Amino acid sequence: MEPRIPGRLGEKSQMLYRTAGQFKTSYEADQALFPVRQDALLLGVILAFAWVIFPLTASEFTFQTLLIPILIYALAAMGLNILTGYAGQLSLGTAAFMGVGAYACYKMVTLMPWMNPVVAILLSGVFSAGVGVAFGIPSLRIKGFYLAIATLAAQFFLVWLFEKWAWLYNYNASGAIQVPNLEMFGVYVAGPQANSLVQYYVVLAIVSVMTMLCINLTRGNLGRTWKATRDMDIAAELIGINLMKSKLTAFMVSSYVVGVAGALFVFMWRGAAEPNLFDIPLSFRILFIAIIGGLGSILGNYLGAILIVGLPVVLGIVPAALGIPIASATVEHINVMMVGALIVFFLIIEPHGLAQLWRLIREKLIIWPFPH
Amino acid sequence: MLNQIFVAPFIDMIGAPDFLLQVLWEGLVSGILYALIALGFVLIYRSSRIFNFAQGIMVVFAALTLVGLHAMGVPAWVSVGLTLLVMFGLALVIERVVLRPLVGQPDIILFMATIGITLFLIGFGEIIFGGENKVMITEELGIPTGSVMFEPWGGLLILEQKDITAVIVAALLVVALLLFLNRTRMGRAIRALGDDHQAALSVGISLQTIWVLVWFIAGIIALVTGIAWGARAGVSFALEVIAYKALPVLMLGGLESISGAIIGGLMIGMLEKLFEIYWGQPLLGGNTETWFAFVLALIVLLFRPQGLFGEKIIERV
Amino acid sequence: MRHLTRLAAVAALGAVMGTGVAAQELYAPNLSYRTGPFAATGIPLMNGQRDYMTMLNARDGGIGGIPVNFEECETGYSTEKGVECYEKTKGQAIVTQPWSTGITLQVLPKTNVDEIPILAPGYGFSPMADGKVFQWAFNTPASYWDAASMMLEYIGEENLKGKKVAFLHLDHPFGKEPLPLMEKKAADIGFELVPIPVGLKEMQNQSAQWLQIRRERPDYVIMWGWGAMNAGAITEAVKTRFPMDKFIGVWWAGHDADLKLVGEDGKGYKSISFSYPVLDSPLMADIKKYVVDEGKTMSNEEEMQGVFYSRGLVISMILAEGIRTAQEHAGKAEISPADLRWGLENLNITEERLAELGMTGMVPPFQTTCADHTGHSGGWMLEWDGEKFVKASDLLQAEAEVIRPLEQQMAAEYAAENEPWAVSDTCDAES
Repeated sequence: MEPRIPGRLGEKSQMLYRTAGQFKTSYEADQALFPVRQDALLLGVILAFAWVIFPLTASEFTFQTLLIPILIYALAAMGLNILTGYAGQLSLGTAAFMGVGAYACYKMVTLMPWMNPVVAILLSGVFSAGVGVAFGIPSLRIKGFYLAIATLAAQFFLVWLFEKWAWLYNYNASGAIQVPNLEMFGVYVAGPQANSLVQYYVVLAIVSVMTMLCINLTRGNLGRTWKATRDMDIAAELIGINLMKSKLTAFMVSSYVVGVAGALFVFMWRGAAEPNLFDIPLSFRILFIAIIGGLGSILGNYLGAILIVGLPVVLGIVPAALGIPIASATVEHINVMMVGALIVFFLIIEPHGLAQLWRLIREKLIIWPFPH
Repeated sequence: MLNQIFVAPFIDMIGAPDFLLQVLWEGLVSGILYALIALGFVLIYRSSRIFNFAQGIMVVFAALTLVGLHAMGVPAWVSVGLTLLVMFGLALVIERVVLRPLVGQPDIILFMATIGITLFLIGFGEIIFGGENKVMITEELGIPTGSVMFEPWGGLLILEQKDITAVIVAALLVVALLLFLNRTRMGRAIRALGDDHQAALSVGISLQTIWVLVWFIAGIIALVTGIAWGARAGVSFALEVIAYKALPVLMLGGLESISGAIIGGLMIGMLEKLFEIYWGQPLLGGNTETWFAFVLALIVLLFRPQGLFGEKIIERV
Repeated sequence: MRHLTRLAAVAALGAVMGTGVAAQELYAPNLSYRTGPFAATGIPLMNGQRDYMTMLNARDGGIGGIPVNFEECETGYSTEKGVECYEKTKGQAIVTQPWSTGITLQVLPKTNVDEIPILAPGYGFSPMADGKVFQWAFNTPASYWDAASMMLEYIGEENLKGKKVAFLHLDHPFGKEPLPLMEKKAADIGFELVPIPVGLKEMQNQSAQWLQIRRERPDYVIMWGWGAMNAGAITEAVKTRFPMDKFIGVWWAGHDADLKLVGEDGKGYKSISFSYPVLDSPLMADIKKYVVDEGKTMSNEEEMQGVFYSRGLVISMILAEGIRTAQEHAGKAEISPADLRWGLENLNITEERLAELGMTGMVPPFQTTCADHTGHSGGWMLEWDGEKFVKASDLLQAEAEVIRPLEQQMAAEYAAENEPWAVSDTCDAES
C-alpha cells in the first residue's frame, strides 16, 4: 500500500477528482466508507498493487525489508492507534504486548503442532488482549503522562518475564525462541523453509482483514464511545458513557491487534526472537509510526510505516547506489539523525500527521484549479 | 514460601547489618542520580508542560562534550565552562527550532518532539564523539577517587569518595536551585509560568527567555549527573537508558514537585536495591530493578493518582 | 586451463591498471557494529578485520589475484538491521559475518536454505561446531563452550572442588550460551555455580549484582560480558575489593580500553583468548606499511596495540585462508559460496602457515574438517598487568571429550526443532 497517489494527481486531476455531480440521496450513502467514487477507485488501484503487482515484481530483499515489515508495523501501529488515537490513552508498552502475542503463538504451535498457523496467530491476540485489559485497569484512575509511565511498568515487567520464565521459550539454552517450519495446505508458511511470497500473502490477508475490522469498529458505536472518552472523559461520563467499559474495550481491542501484529512480526518475518527484541525502542518506533501517520486515522498507520520503515532502508541504499563513499557506520548515524529530525519536522508542519496532510491535499484537489 | 517472603529477608538484614547499610548506601547513591534526572524533567515540565524525554541524552551529550573537550587539550575546568556554553547553545537551538513552532500543541506532540531531539542527538553525538566508552576526567576535576571504610558491628562498609562527592554536590545543587526558584526574579517567573501560562504572559514574563533558561538549567543538571554517573562506569551512549529510571520517580513524586522528585528518587533508589537484594535475587532470578520502580509507582498511583507530592487534580468540564 | 591463464591475465591487468575490474571481486560483507551500546568493543574488531583485508588488497592485489570487497553493513548490534543487511548482501556475497549472537540465531536457519556460509569466529552458537548438522555455519577457531572449559581448566579441578563460582553474565542469548557446559562441569567436578544475570539496562550500574557477589562470597567470578557491561563490572569489582586474580572474563571481556578505566587497580584480572597481539610480527609491519602509512586505516596506534584489534586481524585471516583454500580446490579465483564452504571446512592453519602469514603467536594452530567446524584451537589465559594484557598461561585446550557429545546432542535437538533440516550425509560426525 504505497502512497502512489500524490504522483498521479498532477496531470488531469480535475477530471479525476471531481466530486461535483455525485449526489447523495440517503444518509446511508452520505455516511458510506467512500462517499466519493474516486476514493473507492483509488483504493482499488492500491489493492491491485498490493495483491498483484508487488508480488509479481518484488525481489526477496524488497519483501524482507520493505513489504512485509511495513504491513506488520502498520498493523501494530493500528492497534496502538485505537488505544491512543481513538480512545486517548497514551501507551508506551506496545512492544511488550507484541511480545505476549509472539510468545503465545510460539507456545501454541510447539504444544500443538497440528494447529493451523494462521489460526494460532489469530488466537495469540486473545492472550495479549487479556494481558492488555489487566494492565489497562490503572487507566481508570490514572491519566495522561502518568498513565503513559504506568504502561512502561507493563513494558519492563513483561520483557523481564520473557527472560525469566523459561517455560515460555521451552527451556532453550539461549533463551531465544526459534520459529519452526510450519505447514498449511502443504505449503510452508513460517520458518526458514517458507517462501517470502507466501509469507507476504499471509501477512497481507491478515492485515487486510484486521484493517477492515478496525475501520468498522472505529466507525461504529464503540468507536464513537472511544472518541467521546478521548475528547473529555468526564463529559463522556455525564452523557451516560460507561468509562470503564469504554477504556477497557479500547485496551482489549488494541492489545488484540497488537498481539496479532507481534505474532506476525516473529512468525512471518523475523523467524526468531530474543526477549529484548520487545524492549522499549520497538514501542517507540510504533508510537512514531502512529503519530507521524496521524493519531485517530487508519490510513495514517500505513503512511507512517512507509516513512519510518521504508526511509532508513532507502537511505541505506542511496549513497552506495550513487557511488558516494560513506562508511556504513556514518550512514547509520546520519540515518538516526534524519529520523529524529524528520519526526520534529513533521510534527511542526503537520501535528496531525501524514493522514491529515493527505486530507488537505485531497481538499485542495477537489477545488482545483480554483484557489478557493 | 511465606517464610521466604516475609521472614527470611528480615533475618538476613538483621544478621548482617553492615551489608544492609551497604545496600542502603548503594541505593542512596543511585537514588540521588535518579533524583537529579527527575529534577531536570520536573523543571521543564513545570514551566512548559513538556515531558522532556531528551533529558537522558542531554546527560550523555554533556558528559561526552566535557570529556571530548578535555581530550583536545583544554584544561579540565575550562572544559566545564565550555560544556556549559554548549549546553546553553543547545537550549537556544531547541527553543528556537523545535519548541517555538510547537507552542500550544497537545502534550503528546511536544513529548514526541523531545523523542525526535533524542534521536537526533544520538546520531549527531556518535558522529562527533564516536561510540567508544570514554573515561570520565574524574581526577582532573579534583574529585577524590579513594574510598572510606568503616567497620560497624565488625562488618565492612565501603563508601567511595566520588559517591560521597556526588551526594554532596547533588545536595548543593538542589539547595541552589531552590534558592534560585524562590528568591530570584527569574526563578519566580519560572514558577509563575508553571502555575498559569496566560496569567504569567499577561504580566510581562517572556516565554522564550524562560524556556531557554529552563532548558539551560536542565543542561547544567545533566552535566552534573553525567559527571557523577560517568565517574562510576565511564561515559558512553549506553548511559542514555538511565533516563528511564527517572520516570517512575516522576510518577511517585509527581510531575510538578521538586521535593517530590528528590524524595521519590531517594525512595526508589533504596527500595529497588533492597527488593533486588533481599527478594529479587533469592526468589525471582534477579534483575528486578528493571521493573520494580515502575510497578511500585503504579501501585502507589492507584491510590494517589497525582503521585505522592503532585498537586491535586481538579477536573472541570 | 586456458581459462585459468586468461583469468590470471585479466587479474594481472586489473592489478597493473590499479583499478579492480568491476565484476572480478570477492564480495565478503561484514555486518559491523560501530554504533550503539556495544560499539566500544565493536570498533577495534571491525578495524582489525578491515585493515587485514585492505592490506591483502594493497600487497597481493587481493586473494588469488582478485580483490576482496570487504564492505561493511552497519547493524548497531540490532537484530533487525542485521537481518536487513543479510538480505541486502546475500545476492552476491560469498559469506556472511553476522557479528552478534542474536543475528546469528536468526540468520542461521536462513543460510541453510540460501546456502551461504556463516562465519562467526569465537561467537554464535556453540553446537555450530557439528558440521554434519550445521553445514553452512562456522565458529572457528573456538566456541564459547571451549572458552568455558578452558577457564575451568585454568583454575584447576582441585581448586574448584567444593568451591563457589559466580557466573556473571549478560541476560541475553550471548550470556546464556555457556550455561549448559558450566552446569555439566559443576555437577561433574562438584562446585557450586551461581548464575548472576546483568540486564541490558543494568550494564553500567551493576551495584546490585556486585552486592550479591559480596553476599555470596564466591571463590571465583567468571564473566560473560560484552560492550559497556565489562567496564561496569570491572569498576564495580575494584570498588568492592573483589580479588582481581579470581576474576576471569570471556574473550569479549578482555578489551584494553575497559581495563584502562581502572589501570593499576585492575592488575591480575584475567581473560581467556584465542588471539594475542604480537606487535613486532611481520604482519603488523605489513599493516603499517600498506595500510597505516597509506592513511587507509580507521584505527589509531593505541587501539592497534590492543587485544581486540589483533583479534580482528585473526578473524579476517581465517576468512582469507578459507578463500585461498577454496580457490586452490576449485581451481578458479572467483569462488562461489559453496566453494568457500569447502575452503572453511578444510582449513589447516599450522605453525608453518602462521609463520608464512607473519602471524606466529597471534593465534594457536588449528584445523577444521567437515564434521568439526570449530577447529578447537585452544587459547591462552591473558592477564592485565596494569597497562596491557600479557600471556599468563601456556596454550590451554578445551576438553573435547566433554564438549563433543554435548555439541552433537544440542545440534541434533536443533535440527529436530527445525524439521525439515538438511543434514550433510557426506561426512562422518564421529571423525
